[in-house]
Amino acid sequence: MFELSWAHPIFFYCLPLALLPWIFQNTTKKIAWQGFIPKDSLSGVLFVLSKLAASVAMICLILTLADPYVPEQIVERTRQGAEFVILLDRSRSMDDQFARPPRNTLQRYTGVKHSKREVSRDYLTEFVKRRPDDRFGYVFFSTKATEILKLTYNKDAVLATINAGGLGRGISQTDIFKALSLAVNMYKDEPYRGSRNILLISDGGQILSTEQKQYLQDVFKKMRLNLYWIYLRSMRGMTLDPSDNDNLLWIDMPERKLHKAFKTLGVPYQAFEAGSLDEFAQAIDEIHKQQSQPLIVEERVPKQHHHDLFLWLALLSLFPLMLSRVITVWGVKRAAHKH
Amino acid sequence: MRLSYQKRILLTAIIMVTALVLVMAALWFPLVKRDVKIMDAIFVIDITDSMNVKDVELDGKKVSRLEWSKEFARRTLLEMPCGAHAGLAIFSEARSLILMNPVEVCSSYHDLTQMLEQFNPYMAWARSSEVSKAVYTAIRQAKKIDPKPTIVMFTDGHESPPINPTLFPKFAGTPGEIHGILVGVGGDELLPIPKTNDKGVIEGVWGVNEVMHEDVYASMRADKDVNPNKPRTEHLSSQKKSHLATLANRVGFAFVSSPKDPLDLVDTIRDESNTREQTIDYDLYAWFSGAALLLILLVFLPYRWFVRIDD
Repeated sequence: MFELSWAHPIFFYCLPLALLPWIFQNTTKKIAWQGFIPKDSLSGVLFVLSKLAASVAMICLILTLADPYVPEQIVERTRQGAEFVILLDRSRSMDDQFARPPRNTLQRYTGVKHSKREVSRDYLTEFVKRRPDDRFGYVFFSTKATEILKLTYNKDAVLATINAGGLGRGISQTDIFKALSLAVNMYKDEPYRGSRNILLISDGGQILSTEQKQYLQDVFKKMRLNLYWIYLRSMRGMTLDPSDNDNLLWIDMPERKLHKAFKTLGVPYQAFEAGSLDEFAQAIDEIHKQQSQPLIVEERVPKQHHHDLFLWLALLSLFPLMLSRVITVWGVKRAAHKH
Repeated sequence: MRLSYQKRILLTAIIMVTALVLVMAALWFPLVKRDVKIMDAIFVIDITDSMNVKDVELDGKKVSRLEWSKEFARRTLLEMPCGAHAGLAIFSEARSLILMNPVEVCSSYHDLTQMLEQFNPYMAWARSSEVSKAVYTAIRQAKKIDPKPTIVMFTDGHESPPINPTLFPKFAGTPGEIHGILVGVGGDELLPIPKTNDKGVIEGVWGVNEVMHEDVYASMRADKDVNPNKPRTEHLSSQKKSHLATLANRVGFAFVSSPKDPLDLVDTIRDESNTREQTIDYDLYAWFSGAALLLILLVFLPYRWFVRIDD
């Protein structure tokens, strides 16, 4: 538990200096005859003690310079929280405008247009900031899926990765199945710590084959995964669930097919349709209530310096030493005045 | 110099009192504010096929240019002072794709290295390698990040398809607006380029007839003066130093070819960057305790070896 490391162990080479007080004495006085000195066992003891104090003070100061510290440690604690793998769609379609008006409406300029990628970044940032105790991993996918950030508690790294996801343009097309399988594999290598979730952020749908669906169904159930989908609609008004005033064009959209497929997986699944950020925030809080399971979290205890301990020891040994020297001065002065 | 017994006793006492005061200062002297210079950087790693050529040496072993770049970037991260920020990006096709915005290097070192470790040819989304355009996109994206990071790009400078020496891809930005360093990777000898399939697995090498040997402009012209007869070597790769130097000059970057020591690269980054001043709390305890130690030593040094001591 209490293992000290040393930042500058090179100072250990100075430790032999602590022997100096035992070898040399610069404050002795030559006297003509030993017999002049009264026999005093107390001063003999004090003599040794003062040397000891000097040595201890020197050793402590050298150790202070060597900078003792307890290195950064990881402590496991149980908290309420969850693990999330974020699957971000980096395909080209994400560069398009978010919720554009249907083609048959009049074009009106309505302020700044945001790409779906920018919207997704805002949503994700909100998501991560609202869940301080969670552990996040990050995968980006287009036609290929790549695990970029392994599951981590480091919020700075997660947010920096999310922000980078909002930059630049998309690279290719979308393969959601590959992304989902990769996320599953990320959990496979990890011990079960608590609620496991996959957060998919995508604008596109995909028709899953029967085998793919079967695979997802089996593996999601076996590994107790929950699935969330932040859906970024391309067109204004488009919803994942069919509604009464549906546009005819929307009925066979792959998004709806994927949504339906996810619903039949038989695992906890929830879709968020990006609308207003406030609504989304509420939905996140809702997840929070659902996922109030204990999660083993790793907490980093930062590096702690412990030189104060040695400084105190140095102070404690220096103080009597200093006192004895001052008294000596006083004694010698008085003796000199007597003559 | 001779000191009388009384003086020696007095000096020793004064020294002891001072040492005690110094130790107390080491314990209780308040932290002082000090400014340190920190930098923001984005490491861009070329993950195109030519980076798989094994012609660079790392700790005495021949490794691929990509492995070398990853390891050298990691060591550079390690040498960067705490408080400095670093981000990561990859380059494939004609673009740099920023994967992580700059984060503080010490607290996020683990995550930065974990991400760096993931960089492999599989991540490439297309098989071309247009270095100049990748540098331009990196600059364009860096402008959107606040504070503006310095771009540190590890590449061998191999352009595929080749570019016309006179018709260089146009740079729309202002040279020097974004600072950066091109780090040249690779040997001088032309070597065959391993060819990766769509799973990122190496399958043989690029053949002479599988790549373009002329730039798009020249390949469409039949006249001899535009299209002189020259050896077809674009399927082979070496570090294109002169091209990288030209490119660096065009965008106002520095060019470092095959650096040896990560510390030197950190120095170059510091020189090139717009460093920010960050105020940190600095504890003076080491100076105080060092001084106290020296004073105590003064009392016990073997003076009699050098001077005669009477009394």
